[in-house]
Amino acid sequence: MILLAMIFLPMVSGFVCYGVGRRSKPWRSRLAAMTAFAELALAVFAALGKNLTACVPAVCGFGLHLELDGFRKVYILIICFMWLMTLILSDEYFAHYHKRGRYYFFNLMTLGATLGVFLASDLFTALIFFEIMSFTSYTWVIQEQTDGAIRAANTYLAVAVIGGLAALMGLFLLQSTLGTTKISELYALAQACESKKTLYVAGGCILAGFGAKAGMFPLHIWLPKAHPVAPAPASALLSGVLTKSGIWGILAISCNLFRYDSRWGTVILILGTVTMVLGAVLALFSVDLKRTLACSSMSQIGFILVGIGMMGLLGEENALAARGALLHMVNHSLFKLVLFMCAGVVYMNLHQLDLNDIRGFGRKKPLLHLAFLLGAMGIGGIPLLNGYVSKTLLHESIVEGIGLGYSLKAVEWLFLISGGLTLAYMTKLYVCLFVEKHPTRQAEFDAKKDYMNLPSSLALLASAILLPALGLTANRSMNAIADLGTDFFHAGALEHAVRYLSLENLKGAAISIVIGAAVYFLVVRKLLVKNGNYVNRWPKWLDLEDLLYRPLLLKWLPAVFGTAAALFGENKLTKKLWQGSVKAFSSLGSLFGENKLTAPISKALLRIAGILSRAVCDLVDALVLLLRKTVYREGPPQTEDKYASSLSYRFGRHADNIAVRHGKENPAEHRYARLFYRLRKTFIDTTHRLTGNLSFALLALCAAACIVFAYILLIHR
Amino acid sequence: MIKTIMLCLILLPWAAGFLLPVLKLKNRRGKCALISAVLLLEAAGAVVMLLQKSAELTLFSMTKTLTVALRMDGVSKLFMAIAAFGFLLSGIYAFRYLGHSEREDSFFGFFLLSLGALMGMDLSSNLITMYLFFELITLLSMPLVLHDRTEESIRAALKYLFYSIAGAFLALLGIFFLARYTTTLDFVSGGSLNMGAVAGHEKLLLVVIFLAVVGFGAKAGMYPLHGWLPAAHPVAPAPASAVLSGIIAKAGVLAILRLVYFSVGADFVKGTWVQMAWLGLALLTVFMGSMMAYREKVFKKRLAYSSVSQISYVLVGLFFLTPEAAMGGLLHIAFHACIKICLFLVAGSFIVNCGKHRVDELAGYGKAMPKTLWSFTLASLALIGIPPASGFVSKWYLASGALNSGLSVYSWLAPVVLLVSALLTAGYLLPITIQGFFPGKNVTIPEKNNEGGILMWLPIIVLSAAAVLLGILSGCFTDAFSALANSMFG
Repeated sequence: MILLAMIFLPMVSGFVCYGVGRRSKPWRSRLAAMTAFAELALAVFAALGKNLTACVPAVCGFGLHLELDGFRKVYILIICFMWLMTLILSDEYFAHYHKRGRYYFFNLMTLGATLGVFLASDLFTALIFFEIMSFTSYTWVIQEQTDGAIRAANTYLAVAVIGGLAALMGLFLLQSTLGTTKISELYALAQACESKKTLYVAGGCILAGFGAKAGMFPLHIWLPKAHPVAPAPASALLSGVLTKSGIWGILAISCNLFRYDSRWGTVILILGTVTMVLGAVLALFSVDLKRTLACSSMSQIGFILVGIGMMGLLGEENALAARGALLHMVNHSLFKLVLFMCAGVVYMNLHQLDLNDIRGFGRKKPLLHLAFLLGAMGIGGIPLLNGYVSKTLLHESIVEGIGLGYSLKAVEWLFLISGGLTLAYMTKLYVCLFVEKHPTRQAEFDAKKDYMNLPSSLALLASAILLPALGLTANRSMNAIADLGTDFFHAGALEHAVRYLSLENLKGAAISIVIGAAVYFLVVRKLLVKNGNYVNRWPKWLDLEDLLYRPLLLKWLPAVFGTAAALFGENKLTKKLWQGSVKAFSSLGSLFGENKLTAPISKALLRIAGILSRAVCDLVDALVLLLRKTVYREGPPQTEDKYASSLSYRFGRHADNIAVRHGKENPAEHRYARLFYRLRKTFIDTTHRLTGNLSFALLALCAAACIVFAYILLIHR
Repeated sequence: MIKTIMLCLILLPWAAGFLLPVLKLKNRRGKCALISAVLLLEAAGAVVMLLQKSAELTLFSMTKTLTVALRMDGVSKLFMAIAAFGFLLSGIYAFRYLGHSEREDSFFGFFLLSLGALMGMDLSSNLITMYLFFELITLLSMPLVLHDRTEESIRAALKYLFYSIAGAFLALLGIFFLARYTTTLDFVSGGSLNMGAVAGHEKLLLVVIFLAVVGFGAKAGMYPLHGWLPAAHPVAPAPASAVLSGIIAKAGVLAILRLVYFSVGADFVKGTWVQMAWLGLALLTVFMGSMMAYREKVFKKRLAYSSVSQISYVLVGLFFLTPEAAMGGLLHIAFHACIKICLFLVAGSFIVNCGKHRVDELAGYGKAMPKTLWSFTLASLALIGIPPASGFVSKWYLASGALNSGLSVYSWLAPVVLLVSALLTAGYLLPITIQGFFPGKNVTIPEKNNEGGILMWLPIIVLSAAAVLLGILSGCFTDAFSALANSMFG
């Protein structure tokens, strides 16, 4: 009951808010926040209670099945908390926006749907809510209705629709091979199932569907586009919660359908590693505050996926990986809440996100400073904050994997490097916002004391304070959270308690910090200074604003390849080779970033399919036309004279003469001769058409008869 | 009493349809009241019939064996209910759509006549009766396409007429053969083949049945005789297109269903090349229709191609010859009728109220016509198959029926084609919504209008709400559909 209330209360409240909003705008945001608060209260109440199940029979044929267990308790608490905080910020953020009614309506709808996804106990129910969520959150991305927003939203929608259909295909296959989509039953049935291949295909489809929402490579393309254009409170939820719903789906199959399956684990691990590194690199090169955070989300999702992959590889000793993945999910939701809220505060004051425009905004704003610093340090994995704990666990799990004989050294180093890159881009943002000074507007920035109102400040503070709170009490709070997730993750027992602050674990963090510092000073500083744009030559930035990211990527890569080429010596062959690979790499880069390469391919495919369809479609019509032009040709067009000299003309003349004799001289166009002529023309035309067409019908009959008779004579003696 | 109602379902609209052009009522209100009264009575009659178990009535005998008789069973109930409610809502919409068009009387006359013929076909109890009404539907609904009397509409109407007749000829050939090889021409679930007579002639019979289904498929827009649909719909008035695509084209589906399941029997064709060929044609139609719709810019033509594709979803379900897939097909009959009527009425609304025929002219109409565009959006989502709307449920059963059918290639090809087509469906419907609600900065926002008054927007809203709610509440009637599908296998 309480589960149903949690899902449908916000959906109902969405309609109420929309209605209220037409009368009173302040009450609308108050009502929305109150809804989120009620949800949080319900979530706390449910979390303190026992595990529950609920069922709404007969909806969509099979009914909705819901369940509440430890992991779901944690996540509904986080979702409701995040929704409450963002809704509190929304009131101020949207103060000067149009179309707020739409935002609140769809926001609350999405809340209900998202809870539905997390509470679902079978994949069928999950998919229903997942699709609702995709479509309602579409309006977040398009909220501002600029050209960029529309383009990004369309990408989002396309990925959502394609992903949804892929997941649906997976569900079809699962239902037909295993006969159920109930998550808890999948493992036992999959063990008994003989057609493993079908299961992998089904799993791949579901992975594509949910992975698209999670921002997993190569389906991440919507993520860096959608976040910068969405309003900041929505970005926080998109990044903190909606991507996690994708992770939820991946977990649901990884922990059940493919539990302890090392092949599946390897696939997830590879995809996760690519996502992790790619996201971090993209974030490093971004000069847009929210885009950086979006790419960072992608990278952190990669970290979580690495954990999920390790769970598969480690088999039954997967406790470390499971705990790491769960805690990193939780932590990442909380980081991104704080960071996107900070970005929102910046945006609602400046209406700009470019790092060069917002430079120095955070100076002399202690609250914003504190919140951002905590978020940045948390996500960077600095010890004593929560991010360190989860990253340590993930790192430990990779080390454990190496101990078991997997060759994961490369993954470990990529993991540490990505951790370093995380620190580097967060430092970049931090330095930009809080250390550097804006060349022209710094005084104006410093004077801005009322940059956010009291409720927003409290929301930001409450979100930020959670990070060190969890980090400092890691042994109690975070272990408790991890314990709650054991059931859902099907994690084994922990062999020994992890001492988070042991020297061994601190070493991993230290390596990351060193890498981060090196990257920041050597790559970010040097590269940007080398281009001479970041610090000194301010006006040039404006010109390059749109094109900044790509040239950086394309200049950076040739630089690396150039030095590599220099090592091999400068001969013509290697030069050509490197040029080719640089080109390939840059086109690959554009594939990741802007999708320039895939667009023409898909367009061409579509065109070919279109032409083929047209050909197939018009085949019969063409045949009919051909016949009518050849065998069933209509006679040569009748000339006027022929009509005129015909019988009808003579009759018409007589009739006209009679009329004249009776003293009724009709006007020229009403004479009987003309009338008869028109009638006759219509008659002839109609018969022509009829015979032409009827011949086709008869032809079809003849063809059918011929086939049958030929069949009787030739084959069927 | 039941027999009277059954007969009245056919005769009442016929009587009204004949009288309308003859009486030439001057009072438009009175005329509309008369028409709506007839349509309401039909709907009420259909509801009464739905509650009955079954009924039979022999009208007259042509020869000793050839009788014209009516009988109601589960399949009739489904088609009857759809026809009655679809015509009711389209009819109400038409009052405003046709405004004071000069040929209003003839339109409503033929509208009602078609309804009567359709009821007759739904209720017919043997192949002969069904064929009779099938031809009548063609002849009586052709004038609906002809309504505008333009060169183009005459062409389209003739195309419709002759594609249908060509198809019916093919089917008639099949009926001749079946008369020879079945024990009775009456519909018997599970088929009535006389196995003794068939023995040794199986291959011949298969060819004939194949051709007969292709023939009836003309009406259902199945490849290769689908060409009339995209020609006829753009020129017909919107309410006529709505019933043509939503209901009258389903007459072809009914004919195929009756022929395959109630005359030949599913077991006879199961696993033969005929089934494979049918599935191939139907899947080809599904893909081709969506693809053509995707590339089409004229709103109603796009919807016509979409119908071509969607009705073949139903046929795919029926051709798998398993209860589960057939159930998906039956569900899709009802859902598609609801959705497609809604979409055509929306297209009509844009034509009458804004004079817009093409989809790329609809940017920014979200503000001007919110009710219409919202309904369009919901119906679109239902057609794509986004849960929890109705299309999702039918596609679920279709796909799982296909996967469980055990036909090697088709069992996975069908779901893939269905999903690719669903993707294309999203591609041709959602941009209309997106541009309507989010036109971008450099589009002039059209002025708000009244969306044609309550007579136009109410049917649209009712239908789109039904498109969503039928999906959400589908658990209430899946059992009935499952029983119906099982009953077709004898």
